[in-house]
Amino acid sequence: MLRDVTLSLPPGGVTEVTGRNGAGKSTLLRVIAGLRRPRRGVVKDRPGRVGYAPERFPVDQPFTVRAYLGHMAAIRRVPADAVGTWVERLGCGHLLDVRLPELSKGSAQRVGLTQALMGAPDLLILDEPFAGLDAATRDALPALISELAAGGTTVVVSDHQRCIEALPGIDRLHVADATVTYHPSAGTPWTLLEVEVPEDEADTVETKLRADGYRVRRPER
Amino acid sequence: MIALVRFQVAGYVRSLRVLHPLIVVALVVVLVLAHGPGGPDAADLAVGTLGDVAAFMFPIWAWAARALLDTQPDEQRLLTATAARRPSMPTWAGLLSAYSVNVCLSVVALAVPLMQAIQVGSPGHAILMGCVLNLLVAVPATLVGAWTSRALIPDPGISLLTLLGAVTALVLLGIGRLAWFSVPMIEWLRAAHAGPREFTSDFPSIALHLALWSGIVGAAYIAVARQRP
Repeated sequence: MLRDVTLSLPPGGVTEVTGRNGAGKSTLLRVIAGLRRPRRGVVKDRPGRVGYAPERFPVDQPFTVRAYLGHMAAIRRVPADAVGTWVERLGCGHLLDVRLPELSKGSAQRVGLTQALMGAPDLLILDEPFAGLDAATRDALPALISELAAGGTTVVVSDHQRCIEALPGIDRLHVADATVTYHPSAGTPWTLLEVEVPEDEADTVETKLRADGYRVRRPER
Repeated sequence: MIALVRFQVAGYVRSLRVLHPLIVVALVVVLVLAHGPGGPDAADLAVGTLGDVAAFMFPIWAWAARALLDTQPDEQRLLTATAARRPSMPTWAGLLSAYSVNVCLSVVALAVPLMQAIQVGSPGHAILMGCVLNLLVAVPATLVGAWTSRALIPDPGISLLTLLGAVTALVLLGIGRLAWFSVPMIEWLRAAHAGPREFTSDFPSIALHLALWSGIVGAAYIAVARQRP
């Protein structure tokens, strides 16, 4: 049970939820996602499109990955090409005809992420998304989270693997003893760094820096 | 809503759970209903059979509804809830899915008695009302199944006992003075076996009773289910 929780999540921000096992991280994430109602108090101004990836994706379902994602896309009213984009980005292409119960933990996690991301969510809740992931996806996910945040998505992540703690500018929520302590990233001041790059590489470098969570300003051309 | 219903029904059918009630219904059809009514009262008896089908299908519909709603793992229920956007939509979609499956089961159960009723010359309006009765009775049966689903009663043993207890209690309650609190099973059985004319004249009050019961119990279910994670 969590008490006296008052916090505000800024649009386009990345928030890491920390705390020991059983502290209430998943409960907090579910309250933020709108899957549990607080007994007292309210959660206000939650965006309409919410993506949620649970800690353990429910593989005990009689569908192939393709059929499952097709159903979830229909429920989210997402066009098929948007699903295909995320399937490719998260490396699920070769899994499409595999039945869900036959997926490994890492593959199941990727399917869980795909269904959460396919609807272009305004609020993305990821409960231990790095658990069981293969190295390539684990390395790519922080950049993907930064990219979504740069696009305006509010991202809340619980992460025991400490894969996103290196991201610059993330806020932290520490859950312990039935309370939630908010540690905004504002405590770390930002500084200006000028980087000169060849003109034909500017777009690539800008994309990379944004993906790593940095703010980029370019002179008007 | 339609996408949610398709997802739930597809899960139920693909998991083969649908075979359990289907086998029971097929057995009843083959062993009991296939022996059609005979003698001078065959037309009356055929109408009575339509009422009997609604009565024996009641627990099967409740059981099938509970099984369908329990097919989705708990975590998937959460994923569906976030995907659906509107919080009440999965609850409505669950009820609609369960009712749709129950209508399909009633088609299987009613096919043979319907043909027999037509063959022995039962009045058309009585046959039609027998079919409508089955469609109406499937609603409260679906709601009984929904009330005992895992979302409301997590323990499967307690859930099954509650389902059996609820169906038994509804039958017993329908016998005594508190019959208005129950589904009017005794009334529709009595009316259906009293002859086509009696059945037709009693049908509006039975239908009203079923509609009121379903409305109250359904509204309570929606209110409670929305509070559950």
